[in-house]
Amino acid sequence: MGKLERVLKLIEEGRSITDISRDLDIPLSEVEGMIKILESMGYLQLIETGDSACERCPLKSICPGSCIRFKGRIYQFRANKARK
Amino acid sequence: MMKVVALAGNPNVGKTTIFNNLTGMRQHVGNWPGVTVEKKEGILEYKGEKFLVVDLPGTYSLTAHSVDELVARNFLLKGSANVVVDVVDATVLMRNLFLTMEIFEMGLKNIIIALNKIDLTEKKGIEIDVRKMESVLGVPVVPLNAKEGIGIEELKKRIYEVANRKIGTTPIMPKYDPAVEREIEHISRALKRTELAEKYNLRWLAIKLLMRDEEVIKLVLRYLGSEKLNEIMGHIGEVEEKYKRAMDLIIASQKYEFIDSLMHRFVRYKHEQGETFSDQLDRILTHPIYGILVLLGVFYFVFKFVFLFGMPLQGMLDEAFSSFGQWLAPHILNESLRGLVVDGIIAGVGAVLSFFPLVFLLFLAMAILEDVGYMARAAVVMEKIMRKFGLPGKSFIPLVLAFGCNVPAVMATRTLDEEKDRIVTMLVNPLIPCSARLSVISFLAGAFFKKNQAFVAVSIYIISIFLALLMACFFSRFLVKGESSPFIIELPEYLVPSWKTVILHSWERSKEFVKKAGTIILAGSIVIWYLSNYPVPIGTGLSYSEKLGMFFEPYMKLMGLDWKAAVSLLFGIIAKENVISTYGIIYGSESAIVNAMTPLQAYVLALVTTLYIPCIATIGAIRAESNSKWALVVVTYMIGLASFVGIVAYHLGLVLGF
Repeated sequence: MGKLERVLKLIEEGRSITDISRDLDIPLSEVEGMIKILESMGYLQLIETGDSACERCPLKSICPGSCIRFKGRIYQFRANKARK
Repeated sequence: MMKVVALAGNPNVGKTTIFNNLTGMRQHVGNWPGVTVEKKEGILEYKGEKFLVVDLPGTYSLTAHSVDELVARNFLLKGSANVVVDVVDATVLMRNLFLTMEIFEMGLKNIIIALNKIDLTEKKGIEIDVRKMESVLGVPVVPLNAKEGIGIEELKKRIYEVANRKIGTTPIMPKYDPAVEREIEHISRALKRTELAEKYNLRWLAIKLLMRDEEVIKLVLRYLGSEKLNEIMGHIGEVEEKYKRAMDLIIASQKYEFIDSLMHRFVRYKHEQGETFSDQLDRILTHPIYGILVLLGVFYFVFKFVFLFGMPLQGMLDEAFSSFGQWLAPHILNESLRGLVVDGIIAGVGAVLSFFPLVFLLFLAMAILEDVGYMARAAVVMEKIMRKFGLPGKSFIPLVLAFGCNVPAVMATRTLDEEKDRIVTMLVNPLIPCSARLSVISFLAGAFFKKNQAFVAVSIYIISIFLALLMACFFSRFLVKGESSPFIIELPEYLVPSWKTVILHSWERSKEFVKKAGTIILAGSIVIWYLSNYPVPIGTGLSYSEKLGMFFEPYMKLMGLDWKAAVSLLFGIIAKENVISTYGIIYGSESAIVNAMTPLQAYVLALVTTLYIPCIATIGAIRAESNSKWALVVVTYMIGLASFVGIVAYHLGLVLGF
């Protein structure tokens, strides 16, 4: 099994990016690169975070917290694609 | 006719900078036909010859899963370009060369690699032997620092040479393991002597068919008909059965290994595997044990900072509102109106507004942590814990949002595919302390625990989060079972915060706090004042609020609290800040409140306020996003949980001598 497949398997197992980097002994930037490739292949899906949920909220004009901004990108494992 | 130069590459590799450098101001922006993807074209003039430069959408591969990929792929596939400039980022070569290999596999011969950001490689400890790279890949490689315009002239020269066939290229083809190569050969043979062979590279078609590329399947169907296609697909099915894995992943993975083996021939890392200081820091900050310790430490210091600088300002504001009330009182002759304005509006809204400095400082601290890049690391640590408690991975996002406000957090559960995941997340969501509850926690911690304010505040957050996880574990095990959906968080780079952005964001968020004080809290204060003064003033035991509170007092006594806490908590259902305004109206000043309660009672009240019924807006959001049944479940279990925790905390506190 190649590195790309192993990364996908570890993501499916719920390992974090730093765990994967440590387990496969590769730099974080390389894991990030593989995440981008897997996303472009449809195995991972970039998730919309905070801002859009706040935009849709009917209380946004009086909400004291607005939303927590989240700088990191979150990718969801697409089980349907992986099990096709 | 002008020769065409296509700029391909990953997103954010500096393609646009190179495009601008090549074309100057001679640009045209439109859309690609039939799609809303931006198409940029410009004119390059070199040695008296004009070239049309087309900037293709940035992609990581050419698998045609997105419109961008499809646009870029079709353009290259049709042979529309005389020269393809593949822009690659020298600092993250591996992922960039994946796209390069996909372009090579199309059978294109007119490729130049623009090796951008070469100036940053030294800082990252990467050494690239450009000449070796050129000979290994079989195409010209031009090192660039596009931002400074360095290497652009060399790139223009190479474009001119390749376009006019003054230099030849022999791009290296990715090699797969013998079994995969056999299948590629087999399918290629089946496609030979067909119309497709005249238009497309057969090896590329065979690889894409093996990968079950939908666009290529449609193409083959159009040219060869369903019978021939079914025969080929049947064979591919047998191959997949043999491998027991999807062929697209096997092929992509082997292509990746091939690139890895190539890179060893022209790339060297000065430190082990290119690990930077940032990578080392990430290993600590996301570590299952050290990460939690750092997280607790960071939040302790955040609260310490908030209380240290916020409490003196809060005291000053509280004093200012109180003095304003005293000054205004003699000027209002009508007794009822005076009571409403001074004892109702100013005491109630003022009590809440005096917490503005704390709210602002907390948002400021959070904005700094976000800007530095720490929050994403904290998210990784929290996610690991949440997973252990059986929460579906994706529910992490709504739970993070809940620290701001529970309403958008409930609405964000829409991102969860599984209905059961949505319900569990919605059920535990209100247990995460929102910023409204923060003002109540700050008020009680600040007033009653002068020395341990930060510790008290953090402890209430920890208890709430722990209970949210515990309830999630309970719900997913006994009430709603669902399959977990894994996800991964990509960590942003560490950055020095931009103070302008940080202050702007903190202000944007905290001004909503002021808005809320001027709307919901103001209305709530008027109602609370009325109920506390009619039909007779408070203290007689006959005002509406006392009667209401007295009804619940026997129950509140179990937690060491009285009727005033009951009234506050009841009004807190409208908006949590009303807990403070109610106390402000009933007692009149902070010192009176401090004299009326023990620190243990204050701690229990802070805990119960955090855990009991969510505010009415959150209940409405849960009902709208699920149904009345689940809204009722939330209200019921949270009353039960808050009561249980309140009773246990109070009696435990008594036993421990608090």
